[in-house]
Amino acid sequence: MDNATELAASEPRPHSFGWHRLLPWLIPVLLIGFWQVAVNAGWLNSNLLPSPWSVVQDGINLTKSGELPRNISISLFRATTGFAIGGSLGFVLGLANGLSRVMRGLFDTTIQMLRNIPHLSLIPLVIILLGIGETAKISLVSVGVMFPIYINTYHGITSVDPELLEMGKAYGLSRRALLTKIIFPGALPTILVGVRYALGVMWTTLIVAETISSNSGIGYMATNAQEFMNMDTVLLCIVIYALLGKLSDVIAKALESLCLEWQKKGRTQ
Amino acid sequence: MTSPLVTLTGIGKQYGETAALHDVSFDLQPGEFVALVGMSGGGKSTILRLIAQLEQPTAGTITYADPNLVTRVMFQNDRLLPWMTVLENISFASHDKVQQEKAKSALASVDLAEYADAYPSQLSGGQKQRLALARALMADPQLLLLDEPLGALDALTRRNMQQFITKICDESHLTTLLITHDVDEAARMADRVIVVKSGTNVYSAAGAKGKDAETVAKVADEVLKVILAPEGDGARA
Repeated sequence: MDNATELAASEPRPHSFGWHRLLPWLIPVLLIGFWQVAVNAGWLNSNLLPSPWSVVQDGINLTKSGELPRNISISLFRATTGFAIGGSLGFVLGLANGLSRVMRGLFDTTIQMLRNIPHLSLIPLVIILLGIGETAKISLVSVGVMFPIYINTYHGITSVDPELLEMGKAYGLSRRALLTKIIFPGALPTILVGVRYALGVMWTTLIVAETISSNSGIGYMATNAQEFMNMDTVLLCIVIYALLGKLSDVIAKALESLCLEWQKKGRTQ
Repeated sequence: MTSPLVTLTGIGKQYGETAALHDVSFDLQPGEFVALVGMSGGGKSTILRLIAQLEQPTAGTITYADPNLVTRVMFQNDRLLPWMTVLENISFASHDKVQQEKAKSALASVDLAEYADAYPSQLSGGQKQRLALARALMADPQLLLLDEPLGALDALTRRNMQQFITKICDESHLTTLLITHDVDEAARMADRVIVVKSGTNVYSAAGAKGKDAETVAKVADEVLKVILAPEGDGARA
């Protein structure tokens, strides 16, 4: 059997329905089912922990009133803007410091010092300096996202196999070609690890920022509901966080499988 | 005899206090297949790196017949780019149609046309080295430098690759320098065998390329004697 035939044989059959697709959802579904049964049976106080069904109903009502879509939109806007700004800064700094010794000498020590400050500890400072407007929340998300992307971009670039670089130079590749054909693709798996981690930091930062200082967004909705002891909405917000977190993970995985097709193919042999 | 393609005169290379090479002098004639043979750590690979201009000598001069001499190195490890397909590895993912067509014919010349869209990790050791050879030949080099490219292959694949490389170099009349620690390989493939010992070239003799097994064995024996002789016994080339 030649290599091509072996590869074809090892690939999963298309359109096959397998239990493995449902397996990841088994535990969440069982937990929610048990929760519903526990509330219905009176084992849990529905004032403190409402049933999943009443959370769903609350979600429907808030969607109809427009409150939920408005708050999700504003949170998504803050998250994506902060991620774009912080991610770009982290990537550009990581790229510059990874490629240039001068830049590394100039910036790296400062960045390493700043990186060790927990970014959430900046909240009081940010509120005083920037108030509770959009700039404050987007800045916090940017700072939180910047460092994981910086560290992974820098590490990815400085870890590119020097023998591949030497080959590229010996084969007459220009500086630009070395960057686009060897350095960047070589660093990409590590950069994507940073992106995945940063997506998690993005939500955590935004939620904390919205909980402490905001008048809109999912975090604000949860804090507001807590003040009125509206447990349906509090739980709804938590479920939305979980779903947004899962969505981020799905996006990160899709990005990885799109950019790192070669790793997947290599593993199939 | 025509003028040499590359001439090394009194080459020395120091790494700090350590002298890796001293007084290395030989030349490469156009179309000639030369094998540099010797024990590990003797300085063979350093000579290749200096000729490829990956490093600079600390003494002596290297003269090239053509200042724009196109040189390609085939390294011991294949140094293929794992994120590029087999075809892209040869053309460096060039979008230029001419380069792509040339890459396809280079791939066909090393019998890998059917693997064009595969990734290097899906190839066997011998296939990877054939791909590396095709990549080296893409630029139509005037000088091919082979840095122990067959060291990691099994005996059978290694023998096939030896025949394959000899055939391709002969067909294109390509000047080739092979670094190896295998005296049989050197004797079998080369027009001329140079022994490098303790950082300098100590012996030079005609190889047995295309000759019968007995001649190959005789040349290999002579070369081995020089390599194993105590220091100072080797006749200077």
